[in-house]
Amino acid sequence: MLMPPFILHHPKSVNEACQIAADLIDQNQEFDWVSGGTDLLANYKWRINTKPNVISLSNIPGIDKISNLEIGCMARLSDLKGKSVHPIIAEAASKIASSLIRKSATLGGNLCLDTRCFWYNQSEDWRRSIDWCHKADCGTGADCRVIPNQNTLCVATYQGDLAPVLMVLGATVHLIGPNGERVMPLSDFYQLDGMKKNVLQKGEFLLKVTFPKESRQRIGSYQKLRVRDSWDFPEAGVAASWIEGDVKSIRLATTALESIPKDHTEEIEDLVNSKWNGKESIKSLAALIKKSVKPVNNTALPPNYRRSVVQVLVKRALSKINGDS
Amino acid sequence: MSAGYRQQPNSSRKDGKRVAGKQVFPPPGSGGSRPVMKERDLDYIPKSVGGKEHQPAGSHIHDRIRTGTIVGKSLPLVDSNAKVTGQAWYGDDVRLPNESIGKILRSPHHYAKIKSIDTSKVEALPGVIAVATGADSPSSFGVLPVTKDEHAMAVEKVRHMGDLVACVSAVDEATAIEALGLFEIEWEILEPVFDPKKGLEDSDEPIHWRGKYHLSKTNVQKRVFQEFGDRSLVENPYSSSHGKWTMHGVHHGFTEPHAVVAHWDPNGRLQLYTPQQVPHYTHRALSTVLDVPMHQINVIRTFVGGGFGGKSDPFPHEMCAAILSRKSGRPVRITFDREEVYWINRGRHPSNIEVKMTADEEGRISGFDIDALIDGGGFASFGHVTSYYNGVLATAPYELGSFHYTGARVWTNKPASGAMRGHGAVNTRCAVEVGLDEMAEEMNVDPIDLRLANLLPPHSRTITGFRITSNGMREALERVRDGSDWENKFRKLPLGKGIGIGCGFFISGSGLPIHWDPNRFPHATVHIQVDMDGGVTVHTGAADIGQGSTTAVAQVVSEVLALPIEMIHVRSHESDTSPVDLGSYSSRVTFMNANAAIRAALEIRDKLLNAAWDILGYHPNTLVINDRRIYYKHDPAIGVSYLQALHKAQEDKGALISSGAYRSPPMGGVHKGAAAGLAPAYSFSAYVAEVDVDVELGLIKCTNVWAAHDCGKALNPLAVKGQIIGSCHMGLGQVLSEKMVYGRTGHLQNANLLDYKIPSIHEMPHVEPIIVESSDPEGPFGAKEAGEGPLLPILPAVVNAVYDAIGIRYNDLPLTPDIVYKGIEKKRKKLKLEDATELPNPRYTHGPKSIELQKLLKKRSEEHRKRDIARQTTEDTSAYVNGVLFGFDPNIPLEDQLEGWRMATEPDPEQLAELGLAGKAWLKKEQREMGGEN
Repeated sequence: MLMPPFILHHPKSVNEACQIAADLIDQNQEFDWVSGGTDLLANYKWRINTKPNVISLSNIPGIDKISNLEIGCMARLSDLKGKSVHPIIAEAASKIASSLIRKSATLGGNLCLDTRCFWYNQSEDWRRSIDWCHKADCGTGADCRVIPNQNTLCVATYQGDLAPVLMVLGATVHLIGPNGERVMPLSDFYQLDGMKKNVLQKGEFLLKVTFPKESRQRIGSYQKLRVRDSWDFPEAGVAASWIEGDVKSIRLATTALESIPKDHTEEIEDLVNSKWNGKESIKSLAALIKKSVKPVNNTALPPNYRRSVVQVLVKRALSKINGDS
Repeated sequence: MSAGYRQQPNSSRKDGKRVAGKQVFPPPGSGGSRPVMKERDLDYIPKSVGGKEHQPAGSHIHDRIRTGTIVGKSLPLVDSNAKVTGQAWYGDDVRLPNESIGKILRSPHHYAKIKSIDTSKVEALPGVIAVATGADSPSSFGVLPVTKDEHAMAVEKVRHMGDLVACVSAVDEATAIEALGLFEIEWEILEPVFDPKKGLEDSDEPIHWRGKYHLSKTNVQKRVFQEFGDRSLVENPYSSSHGKWTMHGVHHGFTEPHAVVAHWDPNGRLQLYTPQQVPHYTHRALSTVLDVPMHQINVIRTFVGGGFGGKSDPFPHEMCAAILSRKSGRPVRITFDREEVYWINRGRHPSNIEVKMTADEEGRISGFDIDALIDGGGFASFGHVTSYYNGVLATAPYELGSFHYTGARVWTNKPASGAMRGHGAVNTRCAVEVGLDEMAEEMNVDPIDLRLANLLPPHSRTITGFRITSNGMREALERVRDGSDWENKFRKLPLGKGIGIGCGFFISGSGLPIHWDPNRFPHATVHIQVDMDGGVTVHTGAADIGQGSTTAVAQVVSEVLALPIEMIHVRSHESDTSPVDLGSYSSRVTFMNANAAIRAALEIRDKLLNAAWDILGYHPNTLVINDRRIYYKHDPAIGVSYLQALHKAQEDKGALISSGAYRSPPMGGVHKGAAAGLAPAYSFSAYVAEVDVDVELGLIKCTNVWAAHDCGKALNPLAVKGQIIGSCHMGLGQVLSEKMVYGRTGHLQNANLLDYKIPSIHEMPHVEPIIVESSDPEGPFGAKEAGEGPLLPILPAVVNAVYDAIGIRYNDLPLTPDIVYKGIEKKRKKLKLEDATELPNPRYTHGPKSIELQKLLKKRSEEHRKRDIARQTTEDTSAYVNGVLFGFDPNIPLEDQLEGWRMATEPDPEQLAELGLAGKAWLKKEQREMGGEN
């Protein structure tokens, strides 16, 4: 498959990267950021929302740092292991795609992963034959193919594995762009809509993720539903973390069920603060999460199935908490 | 219908005598012209190379030419060095000077008429070299001579999304892609058909039109009816099973996408490089489409990066490349994207299969009814044969009281289905084996014992007239039972863990060469040339698609001539230099090609022995040929070297040459469709699979497989084991995760290797390959196929194991987690259980009747065991025909013994009302009967 032509920019520092972005904005030129390229370039080959300019972050030194409380955007997924990486992050990272892809894919890329949909992740000929879709409409104003007769929202599914895990560890994201740096909790980074995906403004990119000290006390688990134990994106994913002996500290997040990963910590607040009743409480938590997510029919497995088994995933993610406190 | 399909119509005269040139139908149970193997003369084999060795299956005709050199030894394939070092040249590796890049314009519509194509803008684009449309290729072609319904590019209408419309060649790929956007086409959109059930109904615009043979105005391409045996046995059954199956289409998923390079050389001959399983059919089709004689075309088969049946049709893109090259005088290279691979498809048919089986109180299979509606997609491809295979390849290895089959293949506006590993046999085999398990469950007997007590013996005849020679089914079943510790696991494992059995039966080479008279031309020819250096060059047309056919041919030549395999050089790539061969399909290559190679090698061997006779003065009967030396058998010190004998033989003549051919023996019945499924030998297999089912998520993991396959004789055990393990992987894909998903708009939703879920290494169970050697009397050194048969049993073994694990029978493939979950939830709610982990799992519930029946089956299988051993060696040469188990005399035709014995290929009018889904095709009339086109 032929890669479409584009100009590749190779900034050597964060400042230079921001400058290139600012210049391109000034010239009214469209561009994309690329780190590992395992998501973007595959889409480019399929002629999905291609841009004439691509700015690569791979030559910028120092932004692939991995430490206890900070991970840089260019950190390779295959390097997310060992002492300085939280065990849940290592667990989730090891389940992403295949070992070959993890060698080049990055943390930043995984968090900013494009949303997916089987009406969208198709070749140009294929999409033309369905008269395009809302997300890649080629200027036709096409309707959404998953839920027709509504063209305000894109329901493509976010299928990243790391986001829910970072959410339950209380991660903060640092964004940088021509207008300076912005910092916010990861939960606020995502914005509902499969096209918009997140709050990144034109010219901004995700620089790093930092963690509160408290995160090192947290233990937990990431449960991923997929057909094959390699390659596959999650069909549903549940991350949970808690501080040992303190059920009130439970945090829960899900992925691959909607257009953005979802932090459920606020929703479950009442439940975890009321009397903890072991298995029964977990069951109520699971039912609550099931009620809260609304998957649609655009991935390999049907939405009603994915929604039902979220309960099982929640149960399994919290299985080790049983008997505590 | 062409005569090619009814193998021998009118082969007997009214006076009972044979019609000249026609085969006689052998009396039932004769097992062909040579029912048992010849006694072997152990003096012919020196002890040092295997004389007096233990041969449990009896002696073999090729024993006397065994030299102990290489047959039966595990060795890497002879072309593996090229592959592992990256030097093998596949389709897209061919780079000719001055090449241009071809691209194909594909239909964006499912079904539409082309009103006009304007190519002027394309031609005007700088960099475009040649443009072609359907107008450049008016002649139709197809892999089967009876169903030539394809064109290089759409002539009048497109039949599925991705169908070829036009093609263009340009200086580079980017220009060619740009050019595709400049075609101006006026379409008239037609109403598409996606559901095969709708294909049975009349439509305004059938996808193809077959003139007077067209069935009303439906989209039925082929219908089949077969009824054999005593239908009265079906009434009042002791036990029965009924399964209605939905099987999705699956694709071969080979690694190498299709690619072709065409070059019209300076002499005006076409040189076509293509990774083809069947270069000869491409050769024929090119000749038809391009309208040039075959001798002006040289088809060069590149290395094939996996085929599995998906590269055995002549393909339209091959014609496109040739047409573009002829127009431009420059080489044209076309390589597919993965999506295009799915659009050309030829994968397994999506099928709706209904199987009804009955058994009598003695546990004999009295009724065996199959109804198969298969979705052929836009073209016929191999579908004519598939329509038969879905029924007839299920008629063994069991002895049946009756067999009733209705099948129909319909055209739909989807990519064409075709032949895929296990062609036509896989889906019904799964349904049948699961049905047998269901009956065993109902009768409360062990499903392996039920099978062992109903097997056809070696040298017997099936209900529809297939000639079975060697038969290792019993040994296969026994070895997987013992290897898997079946007795201690079946119906005894905890919830979520299960074990299941499945069997398989497959042809080893199609008995009929579809393009010519089997009585006049051979199936396979091999040439051998030996020059002064002593190296042996073997010319064969056999297409090695990774299965190791080149190695097999080199091995048998090496064995006969007692030369190291490094001295055998196989040349098999060019049609200019290789004799005609039908290629790699229906598991024919090793059986037919190696047999031809043995004959050619024997001729060389005779020449060498005669030369040694000249030098030594001892008659060839007393000479031994072994490791580059020929010597006197009573005094090995007296002898000549291989080169001495060779040079003596070459005196006055130069290089030694020989030619050997293989032709299948006369066999089979004379009824309509008798040739389908006919083969000179059949392979048998039995698998036991163990699974873990996650009862909460519905995920199935296959953990262990014991896989026994009867391949006659493993010429190369390493290759056979590779085929068994590979088949497991492929079959697991179909049973667990692979499906071609057509969405609500009829578009193929997952035409890529991420969404089309081929199992990864993580999903692979531990497979223990068990090779069973039944020494086929007609196979090369006793060998039969091992390429396709091993795929069949894994599907039912897994489905049966899932039942053992959670007590739910699924009739939908693949068993994706959502399907499994749905079944579990349904049962959980029915039993009013709180949690899926409380599901009961199946256990034996023995009663006095079932204990007695179990004893009876054990006793019968023990008796049959002795019978089979006697028939396999030389002790018992009596005739055996399907029906003996039910008390019939094998020496009198069954129809003479029993009034109710039926042999029909068309339904009786009173049967019409009760036919199954596919059988509904028989409610329609052909155009000629309706007074339509005559």
